[in-house]
Amino acid sequence: MKNWVAALFLVMVGLIIPAVAQNSQLPLPSPVEKELAAKASNVTEVTLGKNMLAFAAKFMNGKGEDDAATRRLIEGLDGIYVRDYEFDKEGQYSTDDIQKLRSYFETSDWSPIVRERDKKSGESTDVMMKIVNGETHGMFILDVEPKELSIVLILGPVKMEDLSKLGGIGGLSVLGDIEKESNKDKAKDKTKDKTKKDGDE
Amino acid sequence: MDFERAEQPEQPNRSEQDGEFERELKQAMERRPAPPSLKRRILQKRSTLRTERVQSYTMWWQRLAASVLLVGVIAGGYSWRQVEDRRKGEEAKQQVLTALRITNRALNDMNRRLAARNREEK
Amino acid sequence: MAEKWHPDFERLVDEHQSMVFSLAWRMTSDRGLAEEVAQDVFLELDRHMDRIESPEHAMFWLRRVAMNRSADALRRRKVRGVDLWVEIEENHGAPAEERSSPLSARLEQLLSTLPEAQRAALVLRYQEDLTPEEIAATVDAPVATVKSNLQRGLKLLRSKATTHLKEYIRGL
Repeated sequence: MKNWVAALFLVMVGLIIPAVAQNSQLPLPSPVEKELAAKASNVTEVTLGKNMLAFAAKFMNGKGEDDAATRRLIEGLDGIYVRDYEFDKEGQYSTDDIQKLRSYFETSDWSPIVRERDKKSGESTDVMMKIVNGETHGMFILDVEPKELSIVLILGPVKMEDLSKLGGIGGLSVLGDIEKESNKDKAKDKTKDKTKKDGDE
Repeated sequence: MDFERAEQPEQPNRSEQDGEFERELKQAMERRPAPPSLKRRILQKRSTLRTERVQSYTMWWQRLAASVLLVGVIAGGYSWRQVEDRRKGEEAKQQVLTALRITNRALNDMNRRLAARNREEK
Repeated sequence: MAEKWHPDFERLVDEHQSMVFSLAWRMTSDRGLAEEVAQDVFLELDRHMDRIESPEHAMFWLRRVAMNRSADALRRRKVRGVDLWVEIEENHGAPAEERSSPLSARLEQLLSTLPEAQRAALVLRYQEDLTPEEIAATVDAPVATVKSNLQRGLKLLRSKATTHLKEYIRGL
């Protein structure tokens, strides 16, 4: 009886938490993030809702192209959720922690675009896109390095063409490669399976 | 009828009756002495009005000063609000840039790894 | 260089209060009203002392304002609907000992029955001994109008006085 109740509880939790990420509202921090933050030597957390993004856009009224491009990018977005954890030494997090993070954000609305794993260095990159009626409604990036871990969640209509123009903020033109990779991965099913298998290890 | 001053010599053709009538009229129109209390009342009223004027003047300046102060407080509050909004806006802007910087770095890392994998595959 | 004249208010009141009072009385035919008008005239003088340049200017200013304020008081009284003829009988009361002759007293009374413009012209002519030009400047009217008022006023007054005189003689 107790096992049955516990199982039901876990299922409900399992349904509720990812459900938060399903809608356009920003998620609550996952339990794993709190653990990572406790161990990190440097933590950067940015949580900006729709209203705050609109407010910030008002102050991007400089004459420079960067201001204009950034404003175009964030206008219309529903939120930005970014976490960056830097550690003094390696081994402060486990693969299990990474999997928990992926599971927390990955729901049926999200399509994996990139799953890159490097077994030697332990580095990995996950990129997911939320596609609704053929339009992009969100982007998720999980960038893992031995001593740094970054989570990026952008909700809303992400304009790829505007992202690609943000050269002044360090070459976001690389985002154009994501679309290429997405098409490349779809064509090569075998390559995708291999990558996924590597990621599971 | 001649209306020049009375001391001028009368015209020969003016009737004595006219002259007599005008003399009577002038006598009838002699200035009447003012009531004895008139001056006292004038001076009293004058003193009262002057006091009221000073009080009104003072009150006017007080009201003006209060209005200026109120406008200053409101303007100051408005300015502070504008400064505060600006500060918050700049803070939000910096957060956006930080988020995009981290995003960019993550994507750069991804790109680097993808490039490395492509090289290995070749 | 002539010294600037510094008017003394109290002194001006002493010198001209009888003139102002008499003008107001003869125009309004009401002693009480005349006192009020006289008071208002001098209080107005106090407010405008800085504009008075000389003793002659002070006199001219006082006459002019006294005539204007008297006319205002008469208008206010007409608006209130007071029976002017009754007022004349009741209020036109120079004390008996002030009257130099019965005819003079009667003339003063008959003066109050004249139209305002004619009365004003005669009062300024015979009380203040002003020329038609000076009267015109005081009441702010053309000289021709003043002369016309003087002629008509005098004629009307004489006519009324003649009627009274016959009655007076008859009464003797």
